Amino acid sequence: MGKGGGFITNDIRGLRQRHGDMTQQELADQIGVTRQTVNAMEGNKYSPSLEVAFRIARVFGVRLEDVFQYAE
Amino acid sequence: MFSFQEKSLWLMFVGLVAGFGFYFATVLPMATVDVMPQQMVLFVLAVFALVLMQIVGHVLIAIIDRRSGTDERDRLIALKGTRIAAYVLATGVFLALCAALLTRGNFIFTHVLLAFWVLAQLTEIGAQLVMYRRGA
Repeated sequence: MGKGGGFITNDIRGLRQRHGDMTQQELADQIGVTRQTVNAMEGNKYSPSLEVAFRIARVFGVRLEDVFQYAE
Repeated sequence: MFSFQEKSLWLMFVGLVAGFGFYFATVLPMATVDVMPQQMVLFVLAVFALVLMQIVGHVLIAIIDRRSGTDERDRLIALKGTRIAAYVLATGVFLALCAALLTRGNFIFTHVLLAFWVLAQLTEIGAQLVMYRRGA
């Protein structure tokens, strides 16, 4: 939950599935975090830094807004 | 499934509870005005046992869990845990100063300070374990 009352959701799990059923560990290795952090992001328990967010978008070849959404 | 960091935190938590639990359970019933040499020996023994347990435990964890790297989430959780523990430690320092001014000898002062240091460590580790499960 952000300070403005909204929260960030993401479609990382869906993107992994659409990219040849990429595992959490494979994604984690490509973006430089642990598998547990990928799992926490997918469960909306952790919002990553901008740097990691951009790395995720780059891995899937999509825009940042296609990975992360800000819900009011 | 626990990550390397969580296993390491659990090991430290259990070690602190066991090591200092033994120390306080042994020393507090024989409270004196000043800290006695045999109590210092017990303290050194508790610290030695804690360090030994940490070394052996971490070697075992490293063998079981080969991926021991940390990332930005681990660092954020560690920082938040440290911030929470700082309040506990500050409270302990204040109470230890009160004990130094209001009680005779150094036994109570020393043990209030030590107890709150242990409590601060447990709070820091506990807060981190909760954040790993519920989110940071």
